[in-house]
This record gives sequence, C-alpha cells and structure tokens, in this order.
Amino acid sequence: MTPEAYYKPRTLEEAFALKADHPEAFFIAGGTDLMVLMRAGICRPSALISLRHIEPLHQLTVGATTHIGAMTRVAELLEHPEIEERYPLLTAAARRLGSPQVRSVATVGGNLANASPCADTAVALLALGARIRLASPDGEREIPLDQFFVGPKTTCLFSQELVTEIILDEDARGTHGVFIKKGRVKMDIAQASLALWARVKDGQCEQIRLAAGSVGPVPLRLPEVERVLLNHPLDDDRISQASTAAEQTVQPITDIRATADYRRQLIGVFVRRALRQICTESR
Amino acid sequence: MTQIVSFVLNGAPVQVPADPHQRLIDLLRGPLHQTGTKEGCGQGECGACTVIIDGRPVNACLYPAPEADGTTITTIEGLGGDNTELSTIQRAFVECGGIQCGYCTPGMILSTKALLDRRPDPTEAEIRQGLAGNLCRCTGYVQIIESVKWAAERLRDKS
Ligand SMILES: Cc1cc2nc3c(=O)[nH]c(=O)nc-3n(C[C@H](O)[C@H](O)[C@H](O)COP(=O)(O)OP(=O)(O)OC[C@H]3O[C@@H](n4cnc5c(N)ncnc54)[C@H](O)[C@@H]3O)c2cc1C
Ligand code: FES
Ligand code: FES
Repeated sequence: MTPEAYYKPRTLEEAFALKADHPEAFFIAGGTDLMVLMRAGICRPSALISLRHIEPLHQLTVGATTHIGAMTRVAELLEHPEIEERYPLLTAAARRLGSPQVRSVATVGGNLANASPCADTAVALLALGARIRLASPDGEREIPLDQFFVGPKTTCLFSQELVTEIILDEDARGTHGVFIKKGRVKMDIAQASLALWARVKDGQCEQIRLAAGSVGPVPLRLPEVERVLLNHPLDDDRISQASTAAEQTVQPITDIRATADYRRQLIGVFVRRALRQICTESR
Repeated sequence: MTQIVSFVLNGAPVQVPADPHQRLIDLLRGPLHQTGTKEGCGQGECGACTVIIDGRPVNACLYPAPEADGTTITTIEGLGGDNTELSTIQRAFVECGGIQCGYCTPGMILSTKALLDRRPDPTEAEIRQGLAGNLCRCTGYVQIIESVKWAAERLRDKS
C-alpha cells in the first residue's frame, strides 16, 4: 500500500481529526526515518499526516524551564546559542546525529518517537532528566522521558497521541555534561553511546544521571551506575566500580554494526572516560 | 490524491503535480527534467541527491514532494547563472581534481555551497563535517577537500 493522501493540518485538532478518519495513516515530521522505512516496504501507511505546518510544535524557548517543540529540527537546536550555553550535552549529541543534510530536516520529536535504541538526542535528554508533553484528543499529559520508551521501537504513545514538546526543568549551567558516541565511521548511528550529567561538589556527585544508546532494546537510563556514584568521592576505585556496573547493566545485542561483547566493553570505557573528564573539569 | 506544488527552483517559479508517495527527487528528475541531481542510495546515506532548500542542504531522496510547496530550492543547474561559465565552486572541483566520474559531484558541490554560504572561512575540520553526508567512490577525499579550500579562497577574494 502506498499512501493515498498527504495532509498538511495547521492545528493539533485538525491532525487528530485526520488520524481519527484514517487510523492507518502515519504522522510524519522530518521523514528521515519514515521515508526510509516506507521505501523499504517496512511501513505502509494509508496516508501521511504532516506535522510541519502546526506552528506551536515549532516553538523553542530557553529559560528557567526550557521548552523544545517536537518539530524543532536538529540543525536549529545546534545553532541555538542559549541551548549550547545551558545544555552543551544536548548540543554535543545533536552535532553527532547523522549528516548536515539529515540534521536540516530531522526533528527532535521524531528522534524520540521513532524510539530507536541509538537515538542520539534521546540519550542526551535522558541524562538531562527531560520530561515530555503528549497531546491527544482526550487531553494532555506529561511524563518523564524514561517512561516513554517501553520496548524495541515502541513508546507509550496511544494511536492518536503526539509528542508536543520536551521540557527541561533545570538550567544546566555550572553542571557537567559529557556525550560520547562511537560509530564505525563519523557519520553513522552509534555502536554505543553514553551521556552523563552531574552536579559535583567537593569531589562528589551530588546529582548524577547516566544514559546509554545502542546497548539495549531502548535508550537506557543506568540507575545502578548512578547509585554507585552518588555521594561518594570520585576516586579511581569508584570509577572502576562504576565502569564494571555499567558493563553489567547494559543488555547489548550483536548486529551488523558491532558484537554484544564489543558494545559492553565500549560502555565500560565510556563511563571511565566521562568520569575522568568531570574529575578534571571540577578540580 | 495528487496536489499541485509551487516553489522557486533556481530562481524561477515552478508548478508541478506531486503524489503523496513521491519524493522531491522524483519531481526534479521527472516532470521538471532537472537531471543534474543524482540518486545513489535512495536512503539518505550517500548525498548524491543533495539540494539546498531554504538555505539548508537536504537529501532530495528523503524529502516528501508535497512539502516542496512554498520553498526555495537550488540544484546544480542553478549554480552557473545565465551564461555557460562554471561557478567558482564548480571550477574548484575541476581545477583540484575533485571530480572523476562525476556522479557524486552535484551533491558535493551543493553541500560545499551550503557550507560556504554560512561559513566563508571554514577550518579543515568544518569542511570534513560539512561533507560528512557525501560519499565519493572515485577521487579520494583529499582532492575534494582541496577543492573546497580553493573555492573558499576565491569566493572570499571576490567579496
Ligand atoms: C542517513 C541517516 C543517518 C541517520 N543518523 C542518525 C544518527 O546518527 N543518530 C540518530 O539518532 N538518528 C539518526 N538517523 C535517524 C533519524 O534521522 C532521526 O531519528 C530523526 O531525528 C527522526 O526525525 P524525523 O523528524 O525525520 O522523524 P520522521 O521520520 O518524520 O518520524 C519518525 C517516527 O516518529 C513518528 N513521529 C514523528 N514526530 C512525532 C511526534 N511529534 N509525535 C508522535 N510521533 C511522531 C512518526 O510517525 C514516525 O513513526 C539517521 C537517518 C538517516 C536517514
Ligand atoms: S540518494 Fe539521497 S542520499 Fe543517497
Ligand atoms: S567522482 Fe565518482 S563518485 Fe565521486
């Protein structure tokens, strides 16, 4: 089946009404995931409902709480000076997503909703403790991002539900953020990736969140590793323990990009490197 | 459900029917007969189909044709201007050996243009980043990067 229509609603209400009329239709944002899947015959929507022309989904405001509209393109995120100033971790992840051509159209909402375990912005946003706002004909709800991903390529979205925005409550200035990604070549999806965010005082992590990509069915938070690190002096011994905990927590698989073993080792090394970096930065 | 899309292509307004499943590259190479834009992989990996939409480089093989409506698009056909002379970036690729079979070249040149429009004086690292979405099977990337530097220098001298 090829899509029989391409709709361009201007409001959320119109988009929901179209989806109600065409249950087999797909929402399309930038299309960098969906166009590939359609061409390969993996996705066969009856129609496409574009989210590009719904103005509120494009809003991006940085402040005490930061709101990133779901239709914000990865390139726009990258070019935003205040995002870089407050959340360099997010900028670093955005910079490693795809090519310039992909970043010109790929959206943050699409990166999350596509729910690939490798999704670069998802890994960064998990470490930043993001919440997301969802809207459906029944109303709106907000959930922590780590409750959004429920299984391989699946989210908790209902069929008529949309991601409308990503919310960051904390101004991350004065904190530490590290993003590390390894692909086979520079422009490739991750063999493994790690994002770390921490607030460090007197050589200890007062607050810390870690997330990893391509090492489980979904982008993963690593609470076991966070527990090892929270409120303990960041010495060599602690760093080794954290690295081992990370290797034990992740659930990688072997595929064309890397073996499970290699991915496990990468995560161990990334945790070590990220922690060393924040040790140096906070000295 | 076919719809008519209108956009500005290389400075001239065009109107063309677009089907819901079509991609921008289907319009360019089909009814618009602009075959300078190439299709390599058809899945966003190789950059042969790169065009500039509203100032940004985009893979025409991933861009839904109905979304071309209202945009301004530049393809390789739009670079030379009215006369038959090559533009500076095109000349750079010829001068520096950045072109062999030529299949990747329109995409390389459009990515270069998108980069230099924003960053007239890029570092080598920025050039590599800017071309990360374009593959070449012939020349080797050294000559391509030299071509971009050559073009950047000449364009800066001009302005
Ligand atoms: C060559 C190439 C390289 C890539 N490299 C990377 C990479 O390095 N890292 C990476 O993370 N990704 C990569 N990707 C994947 C892709 O570009 C990203 O996941 C992108 O962010 C998807 O966004 P989109 O707007 O294009 O989504 P679309 O393709 O439009 O949508 C993806 C899915 O999400 C749904 N959707 C979109 N928006 C919403 C919303 N607001 N609410 C609910 N559902 C929604 C759609 O229905 C669809 O099912 C790459 C893709 C290509 C083609
Ligand atoms: S043909 Fe579009 S990226 Fe290869
Ligand atoms: S010149 Fe032949 S692919 Fe680049």
